[in-house]
Amino acid sequence: MAGGRWGRWVVAVPMAGLALATAYPLVFTANVAVKSRREYVLDRFAPTGSPRWDNLAEAWAGVGTSRYFLNSTVVVACSVALLLLFGSMAGFALARLRFRGSSVLYLGCLAALFIPFQVIMVPLTRVLADTGLVDTYPGLVLAYVAQFLPFTVFLMTSYYSTVPAEIVDAARVDGSTALGAYWRIMLPMGAPALLSVGVLDALFCWNDVLIALLVMPSADHRTLMVGVTSLRGQYSDDVPVFASGVLVAAVPVLVVYLLLQRRIADGVTAGATRG
Amino acid sequence: MAPTVLIVVALRLWPLALGVNFSFTGDGDLNGTPVGLDNYATLLGDPLFRTALGNVGLLVLLLPVAVAIPGLLATAIHLRVPGHRVYRAVYFFPAVLSPVIVGAIFTLLLGYDGPLNDLLGVVGLGPVDWLGDPDVAIFAVVGVHVWATFGMALVVFLAGFSTLDPSLLDAARVDGASLPQTLRHVIVPGLARTIQFVFATTMIGMLTSMFGLLFVMTGGGPEASTYLPEYYIWVQQGQLDRPALASAASTALFLVMLLVGLAQVGVLRRAGREG
Repeated sequence: MAGGRWGRWVVAVPMAGLALATAYPLVFTANVAVKSRREYVLDRFAPTGSPRWDNLAEAWAGVGTSRYFLNSTVVVACSVALLLLFGSMAGFALARLRFRGSSVLYLGCLAALFIPFQVIMVPLTRVLADTGLVDTYPGLVLAYVAQFLPFTVFLMTSYYSTVPAEIVDAARVDGSTALGAYWRIMLPMGAPALLSVGVLDALFCWNDVLIALLVMPSADHRTLMVGVTSLRGQYSDDVPVFASGVLVAAVPVLVVYLLLQRRIADGVTAGATRG
Repeated sequence: MAPTVLIVVALRLWPLALGVNFSFTGDGDLNGTPVGLDNYATLLGDPLFRTALGNVGLLVLLLPVAVAIPGLLATAIHLRVPGHRVYRAVYFFPAVLSPVIVGAIFTLLLGYDGPLNDLLGVVGLGPVDWLGDPDVAIFAVVGVHVWATFGMALVVFLAGFSTLDPSLLDAARVDGASLPQTLRHVIVPGLARTIQFVFATTMIGMLTSMFGLLFVMTGGGPEASTYLPEYYIWVQQGQLDRPALASAASTALFLVMLLVGLAQVGVLRRAGREG
């Protein structure tokens, strides 16, 4: 197939080109980020002779990045913790407990999965405003939990469906309540799935800009990604510092990607193959 | 279970109903009064919204390309072209970056006096005003979106391949089938469900997750040429304070997605019968 050995190399050449096109923009940005303005104007592509780490410090301080960074970290940590707690509870209940209306609830979650955020963003903002939650951390956390909970429930349900029913039955026979069985058995057993889903949820929340813009409008409450959108105006004449800001904001995600690449792909494909 | 139900119902399903209901009421002085289909009439009379719908049409036309690219790449990786492990990791990584980061990087690369035009100049091609020419900008933004997301679809395709019966591929090789023949008669029918899933998710992605890119790269310009319904909703709601009109646009977006989704199911069914 594919014309044997030579055919494979013919296919491999455009693929290598595409890989270059995929990786190079980031390499370029990283290089520019540590150039001086003079170096950038003279030659954009040449590797820098003497990296200017000052740019990174300036970008970090200049846009209040540390403040935004803290906001993002707090909101993402709380959101993911709640998502995993509620998601695994609901997943366990839907997969392993038989109760009236469970299939209706599952369908409800599934339907919610297909409602795009844009479709509900106007009324959602209104509901949050009416309850005084706009521009508060709990408001944004709640918005993220609402946004990504159906996905989390869906994956946890399909994961728990693969855990043998006998394990829960045995716990029930030993006198454990449903909550006890969840807390002592299902939650620890779900660890691998929780890690995959949690990483994905964290990426979704961390990378979001639309929900954060809507729910946290004031300058002090900006998340990191909202902060990045203002970089361009601020450093329109200083491309290297602009690139530094972009790089600083991208680093956490790149680190997570390098460490947990397999987990992220697992989460994505679990959603796909069960769909 | 209870918190999940509460959150999903209160913050997703309820706002959906609220939004549809809201789209039949007035803005400003007419706040809260029923106005029937007035908002929808306003939408259809608004050239901005018509541009946004036209761009949706363009996206639907580009959709097969956006699905074919990761599909073909996944085929090549599955057939173990040299370096397949590296490609998988490299192609996937932009998918974890925030659209805001991706948008910022490409604003840098696609500037009129930016690096990409420098490269074009070297090979003797005139500079292209990527983000400033109304006829080019939407393609530039969609191109960047595809650049950023094809890795996600690729991973989904690879998961699909892992469920494909390897003996079918072996049989095709023994029978001396060419790569296009193998694709047509073995891979496409075998992956029908995966292809359907990728079509649906790619379409949803194009209609609902380009906000960050539009916000950072073009702001809807030049000459409003890069408007999409989701951006229109954001502007009407956040900038112009016309939430009822925004709700009508949301409902329209939801209907468009439903229609496209149903059309896809229909087309794929017919293709399946012929195959």
